[in-house]
Amino acid sequence: MRRAYLHFTRFPVQRKVIEVPELASRPFALVEEVRGQRRVAFASTTALKAGVRPGMTLTAATALEPVLRHFPYRPEDETRALTALGEALMGLAPGFQLRAPDGLWLDAGAAHLVGGEEQLAAQALEVCAEQGYRAHAVVASEAFTSRALARYGTRRVEVVPPGEGARELAPLPLAALEGPEGAAFSALGLSTLGEVAALPVAAVTARGGVAGARAHARCRGEDDTPFVAQVLEEVLEERVVLDWPADSFEPLRFALKTLTDRLGARLAGRRRAAVRLTFTLKLDPTGQARVPLTLARPTSQAKLLLDLARHRLEEQRLENPVAEVSVRVDEHSEDRGQQLALGDAPEGDAALEVVLSRLVTTLGEESLFAAGLETVHRPEAAHGTRAFRPPERKRGLAVDALDAGGSGAAAESDEVQPLSLVGRERPARLLASPAWLDAEVAESGRLLAARLGGKRHRVTALAGPERLGGEWWSDTPYQRDYYRVHFEGLGPAWVFRDARDGRFYLQGLFD
Amino acid sequence: MSAVAEQRAGSVGSVGSVVEQLRERIRALQAAPRRYLAVLRTGMEAVDALLPSGGFPMGQAVELCGEAASGRTSLALRAVAAAHREQRLCAWVDGPRELYPPAASALGVDLERLLIVRPKAPEQRVWAAVQLARSGAFACVVLDLTRGVGATGRIPRVALAEARKLADAAERGGGLLLVLTSPESPADGVMRLRTEARDGEGWSVEVVRSRQGGTGARAELPWSVLYPDLGLEDGGRVLDVAETAADATPDFLREQGSALRNGCGILGQRPGRDAPMPSLREGLDSAGVAL
Repeated sequence: MRRAYLHFTRFPVQRKVIEVPELASRPFALVEEVRGQRRVAFASTTALKAGVRPGMTLTAATALEPVLRHFPYRPEDETRALTALGEALMGLAPGFQLRAPDGLWLDAGAAHLVGGEEQLAAQALEVCAEQGYRAHAVVASEAFTSRALARYGTRRVEVVPPGEGARELAPLPLAALEGPEGAAFSALGLSTLGEVAALPVAAVTARGGVAGARAHARCRGEDDTPFVAQVLEEVLEERVVLDWPADSFEPLRFALKTLTDRLGARLAGRRRAAVRLTFTLKLDPTGQARVPLTLARPTSQAKLLLDLARHRLEEQRLENPVAEVSVRVDEHSEDRGQQLALGDAPEGDAALEVVLSRLVTTLGEESLFAAGLETVHRPEAAHGTRAFRPPERKRGLAVDALDAGGSGAAAESDEVQPLSLVGRERPARLLASPAWLDAEVAESGRLLAARLGGKRHRVTALAGPERLGGEWWSDTPYQRDYYRVHFEGLGPAWVFRDARDGRFYLQGLFD
Repeated sequence: MSAVAEQRAGSVGSVGSVVEQLRERIRALQAAPRRYLAVLRTGMEAVDALLPSGGFPMGQAVELCGEAASGRTSLALRAVAAAHREQRLCAWVDGPRELYPPAASALGVDLERLLIVRPKAPEQRVWAAVQLARSGAFACVVLDLTRGVGATGRIPRVALAEARKLADAAERGGGLLLVLTSPESPADGVMRLRTEARDGEGWSVEVVRSRQGGTGARAELPWSVLYPDLGLEDGGRVLDVAETAADATPDFLREQGSALRNGCGILGQRPGRDAPMPSLREGLDSAGVAL
């Protein structure tokens, strides 16, 4: 089976620099506790140059480099970050297998879909670079060959044809064996994998046993390690534990960026878009704050998610400092992406989504809508609300197509004509519910004046009636005579006399 | 064999010509100047002529101040329709919750491209408008700060700081921000147009405050410009209609106790008729017409 191995040189260090950008080109070390002693697990390049080595005690390391900063090394965090990276790569490969703490295998069986194995490796490196990681990629048929070449090879991208493993492995040092066998072979005076492969199988097996035989087979380019794809989690959740509790928003900003970057990459890898998210802030020493975030338009863009999260969390008032931030995707949908036309700039659409999401989170989902017309005669029920999904703007070449189809557009406007004719007799403002009019009526039944807002307004002109009635089959029938009335000092208004009680009501204003 | 080759050559030629056409079109697109929307015209020449830039200027905040029914909303809707003709998006922050979409649609507004925002708290209106205008995604944002007809209490006046915020947002977003206000609570610090309903014949619009000049310019227009079918000229026309004899309301639903005619009528009698109309049948009988 063909597989690609991605090796991230000192992955935990890279991750730390991405999370805390100020650590770039500074000496720092990730420290783990071994038998009661704090020892260096990984060190930054600057620290390595100063002489700090993995396995060294923290005291010794600090003696070598007095400004050395140190952070706890949490293997589970590294695994989580690596898993997120693997999921982000799922757009290129159907599955991945972790090799904690610094690499992963990709199933290269579908490489022909992206233009070949070399292309697959190059594109995988691009995806990693977007996340801020630098890596080496090797495509080979065996797990060991790909991993050893990625770790100790010189090229960033390499494709080993099937059966060529032994030849490619030959110049690599014995350290590539990663086990006690390497030391045993070294004691025999060997220095490369090629020299090990040249030894007779029977002699190696007799002296080294099963382990020796396996190491020898690997050096010959034979490895039967199966590919076990990582099982994807059902719930998309990301968590960042802060190094120290944050009492201002600034440290949280970096944590949120890490979270949303990872979440965006995972969503994009799964071809999903987040609809509803929940941010949970764990406080120190006790307490918890949950902040839901609903998106007006589903998205997997990390930048957009970060903007929205920042806007929501900045306004939070918390009684304790924040120790941990996590985000969970409660609802997601298929990511349809965005089809851009020639000469299109996506900034406008992104701005629209940001402002819509911001308004939805602050005002509530029911406060934002687009109106639609209903085929109902009762004036107050002649329109409904629907979700605001504006049609795509026709730009570029599409405009020409629109101009060419001008006759079609004219036909459409003809169809709309009857509706708009009725609409022309309607007021621009309509009261949600008709207001009873304090009216003065002549003996003939004609409206003379009305009191509105404490002022008497004389009627100077009157047109109508327009009789509207119906819904006698329901519980709320209506029968109304509508008049367009001009009130002195106010303007034209739309009033009706209800046949049920004979009273005049104000329903709208021709504003 | 030669026929196949000819066919292939023909198809290659047609593909080549299509590619050439596309290339030509792309060249024309690149050469054409970008259509840049600088003003939103209302479509009423008299009103557009009042404004220094020949229409509502983009990137600015403009206040339309007037009584409850003085034509402010229709003017704003016409600006929105102008933006929709260019396939741009618009937003309407509907404070009093009174915008009537069927009328807007009749004025040329594309309801699919109009976002209606109805904040629950009155203090959120200005905030929402600032957000919408600043985003730059909307060509025209209308902020309706008027008080609804049935509403009680006063709407606080738009403070100078808020007006500055609105003007800044419009400038940053590059869209037009229209603020609809009533004379008792106007906004400060932005260009103001006052609309006034004169009588059944017409209405007027006047530039009250403008930095670009034109202050004091006034136009008087008939109502038919805003509402062609209003029909209120010369006192209007009233059709003498008979009572709705067959009231659709079932008896059990009819409000028995509310027969008072707006509080000042005759019990049990419909307004407009002191006595029931004489039956047509009686007249016909007396004339000897056989039915």
